Amino acid sequence: MIISVQWLKNYIDISDIDIDTLCRSLIMAGLEVEEITSQDAIYKHIVIGYVEEKIKHPNANKLSLCTVFDGKERRKVVCGAPNVEAGQVIVLALPGAIIPDGKFEIKIAKIRGEESSGMICSRKELGLSDDHSGIWVLPGDTKIGISLAEYLEKTDTVLEIGITPNRPDALSHIGVARDVAALFNKELLKPQLKAAASGNEIDSHITIEIEDAVNCPRYSAKVVKDVTVGDSPKWLKRAIESIGLRSINNVVDVTNFILHETGQPLHAFDLDKISGNKIVVKQAESGSNFVTLDSKSRDLDNQCLMIRDAEKAVAIGGIMGGENSEITRDTKNILIESAYFNPSSIRRSAKKLGISSDASYRFERGVDYENTLYSAERAAELIAEVAGGKIVSGCIDIYPNPIPDKIVTLRFARVQSILGYPIDAKQITEILRNLGMSWIEAAADSVTVSIPGFRPDIEREIDLIEEIARIYGYDNIPPIQAMTLPLIPIFDETAILDVIRGFWSGIGFNEIISNSLQRTKIEEEKPKAIATLNPQSADMVDLRTSLLPGLLTTIAKNISVGEKNLRFYEIGKIFIKKNPVIASFDDFDEKHILGVAITGLAGEKQWYSKESAFNFFDLKGVIKAFLSKISLDNLSNDCYNHNGNYLFSYLFSRFVNSQLLFTGGKVRKEVLSLYNIEQDVFYAEFNIEKIEQGTPVQKKFKEPLKYPRITRDAAFVVEKEIESEAIIELVQKQNLKFCKAMHLFDLFENDSIGETKKSLAYSIEFYDETKTLTDAEVEEEFIQIIGLIKAAFAAELRG
Amino acid sequence: MEHKILEIRAAYKSEINQAASLKQLDEVRIKFLSRNGSVSALFEEMKTLTKEQKPLAGKELNALRNFCESLFIAKKEEIEAQSSIVAPKIDLSLPGVNYPVGSRHILTRTLDEIKSIFKSYGFSVSGGPELESDFNNFEALNFQADHPARDMQDTFFVTKDFLLRTHTSPVQIRLMQNNKPPIRAIMPGKVYRNEAVSSRSYCLFHQVEGLYVDKHVTFAELKGTLVAFAKEFYGSNLKYRFRPSYFPFTEPSAEMDITCFICGGKGCRVCKNSGWLEVLGCGMVDPNVFVKIGYDPEEITGYAFGMGIERTAMLKYGITDIRTFFDNDIRFLNQFK
Repeated sequence: MIISVQWLKNYIDISDIDIDTLCRSLIMAGLEVEEITSQDAIYKHIVIGYVEEKIKHPNANKLSLCTVFDGKERRKVVCGAPNVEAGQVIVLALPGAIIPDGKFEIKIAKIRGEESSGMICSRKELGLSDDHSGIWVLPGDTKIGISLAEYLEKTDTVLEIGITPNRPDALSHIGVARDVAALFNKELLKPQLKAAASGNEIDSHITIEIEDAVNCPRYSAKVVKDVTVGDSPKWLKRAIESIGLRSINNVVDVTNFILHETGQPLHAFDLDKISGNKIVVKQAESGSNFVTLDSKSRDLDNQCLMIRDAEKAVAIGGIMGGENSEITRDTKNILIESAYFNPSSIRRSAKKLGISSDASYRFERGVDYENTLYSAERAAELIAEVAGGKIVSGCIDIYPNPIPDKIVTLRFARVQSILGYPIDAKQITEILRNLGMSWIEAAADSVTVSIPGFRPDIEREIDLIEEIARIYGYDNIPPIQAMTLPLIPIFDETAILDVIRGFWSGIGFNEIISNSLQRTKIEEEKPKAIATLNPQSADMVDLRTSLLPGLLTTIAKNISVGEKNLRFYEIGKIFIKKNPVIASFDDFDEKHILGVAITGLAGEKQWYSKESAFNFFDLKGVIKAFLSKISLDNLSNDCYNHNGNYLFSYLFSRFVNSQLLFTGGKVRKEVLSLYNIEQDVFYAEFNIEKIEQGTPVQKKFKEPLKYPRITRDAAFVVEKEIESEAIIELVQKQNLKFCKAMHLFDLFENDSIGETKKSLAYSIEFYDETKTLTDAEVEEEFIQIIGLIKAAFAAELRG
Repeated sequence: MEHKILEIRAAYKSEINQAASLKQLDEVRIKFLSRNGSVSALFEEMKTLTKEQKPLAGKELNALRNFCESLFIAKKEEIEAQSSIVAPKIDLSLPGVNYPVGSRHILTRTLDEIKSIFKSYGFSVSGGPELESDFNNFEALNFQADHPARDMQDTFFVTKDFLLRTHTSPVQIRLMQNNKPPIRAIMPGKVYRNEAVSSRSYCLFHQVEGLYVDKHVTFAELKGTLVAFAKEFYGSNLKYRFRPSYFPFTEPSAEMDITCFICGGKGCRVCKNSGWLEVLGCGMVDPNVFVKIGYDPEEITGYAFGMGIERTAMLKYGITDIRTFFDNDIRFLNQFK
């Protein structure tokens, strides 16, 4: 919202407050001054000049070469306007000026070989109108050499203030002045109405009826007749333009002026275009349409509140007037509407229609329902003043169910118990008075006040406490220096994430965070995806069902900048639809997931090693290390799937308590091609909830082995299909007394041992926790194991 | 005999000390200790002694031999140690074997820092879902239907009643529904806003919410706690201010600003010439929220606050485009190891 400081001065004496102090105080009272603009800033280096001579440009037909006096010196200026003549008083932009329309800087330049040290401006270039038919010629008696700002009397400072939704009272100059009054303990000067003529002539001009009193609780009106619609006087025009509006005509300007003065939106109808001398406020018919002031046709539904005459709709209540009843230069008689509309109703309609007007913005936040008549009368006075005409006696004020007074009691002790700082009762009552609260009852330890209509946000004691704190100054409430610490157990639900990140970052992976909104590209994932109803773009329609797409997108992006060897992980939520309609939390799963991806080279070429590409066993190895870190390495075995699924060419997975802990494998080419990736990617996804559930709560100490371990090696030639792990599992199953571990240390394939065969060499470990084993004890089990393997796998002992 | 032993001992000692290389050392060894060396010659000579003389001479000869051998070993080690410095056998300047160094995302690191400060103040850490109900995200937090306050947070809806949470504040509701006061926790996580993606805004970002609910919690305590946090996180010299703001779920509500550390408060592009940076929103929990939960607002008071991690990290590390966080360019990730 824009506030003109000059305009503000009508309602409060701030002659002793400089702009910086004013702005700082407003900010510290919750009216956030976002920008301070001195009006003359945009007219810097633009002055009034006099064209002394005009000759044709020697090298260009359509250009003139002028000699212009700028008050100090004579300048050569090239001008392209057809209407430039010697003897004119014009507006001259000097070098260094920024032209308001187009924001380009004027520099000394050669134009077709002639030096030009300035520019003669049109009104359009100055941002003053759309007229670009030629340069702006000023009256001959205008003083030469003064600045344009001085000529336009634009010496005001305007403030752009961000008003929070709870403060509709501050959406006007009087509203801001009221806060200034409270902050500086000054008097608010609200314009007084003149004594109105007696009589009720208005009744012969118009009758007003409210059919929907819920959505339009109050409707006040005044009539002014025999006006002359025309340009606004200078003061009004300047006020309107100072806040960034365009002056339209004296009547419309007055309604806008009142809106920005009091916060009450008004609408002026051409009374002669109102059929049947009658206004009815009622809901629109669904499916009807209406042409608003901006010449757009609007589709209505029965939620829109309409202002109708005897025959037709003439305005959408509280949102925008109609073209059919607007004020024109021919308008003679005027009906001024000043109403209070229900905020929710206006908000629904404005949203539905996609209109946000100055009026709807205020109505949906709540205007002062006690102020409608005052604003109508003030508008009538101003219209009569600036457009002639006569105020018709009497007024209309339909208010069938007056909104009850809000009465709130404030306990002084409660102020301290919320703020933690005592503010004395005298200061509290002074603040409340300055903010416009009226006294109902004052007691020793409390005060009961009636809340004015312009403060819809104040309903409770706590609201008053906020007002007191706000005006007293948050900065004047000292922060405590020591805190009370409740002695309750502290928990950290994110602790497991720290362990996970510590492992993966520690082992050389980079953590990424990708967008959880994306377009699901993998066909099989589509039925699981939950879509947003109002996406930003087609690429961000769905909630992700997996972390794989985000990792692949990241991998592709990095490959495109030449980074091909990547180890990434991400921790994030995925969302899986369980039922077609999401009506409760049971209809979808939100899972916390760890995704891990490797691609490119595991090791680049080095003096000590050849380059090696990541493969499945890199993934398997790092997962094994991770499982060991989270103490889940001994729970169960991996399941292998050679055929894979729609994501993986082949994969492996592990279950904990028959629940899936992770799946990992080589990502299918078809999936990679959706993301334009040509190199292999290995990916695994962990369910973090299962990690948490599976991790043992309390580990127990185990005595390290005191007796030696003995290892024996043996190599077996078996058929290639036999899985190396099957042999280990077979031995494990025997639960032998001394054989405690077995691992593969060599794989050998060569025609010398047969085309369909391979040799697997194992190292087998024997020990006992209570004694040193003898050779004979080891030998006996070793031979037993060899026999077992030979029999079960048709194996031959090698070497 | 005795005399000869002393002579040889002195000669050996002097020669071995002069030996400068392994070769010279070996020559000394051959001269004295080989089969034809002078020490061996003495053993031969011993055979000529009488029975009575033999035991004593044998003992002394053995001592001589031990002395010579230990001197030889010590000298040999000394020469070897010296020669290895002078003439290396391997190129020690070859690069070491590569070990990859990973990284935590800078947003995680920033969050970790915030978390550890609040944990030291006795705050627990709690999580909550991102796909939330309208009730938890808005209604329970005193956002009334058809109120312009809802426009403050552009929302992605999944259905009429389910949405991507627009702030971490619904976790407050969950915490209060499931626990009795005192409750003291921070709640970090992703939040979503339906805003056009640009250098200044993204469709999602991370927030940390804080809540302390108990008897006698005051605005002065809120200020004290947040000032202590800001000084620890941003630096102890900072100036700060609390200015009134509006959040439907707190009253009084405030925004905390700190002096712009880019320009030192003089005014620059980052602080939009105000000299101040807005770092968090906060306030006293609105009694309406307590009523929705079932607490008695006469008995229980509390404060809540929330801050954006991206904004915090951008300010702290001088990152100018919020999209940088979500592009995950490894050259960016590797800058923060």
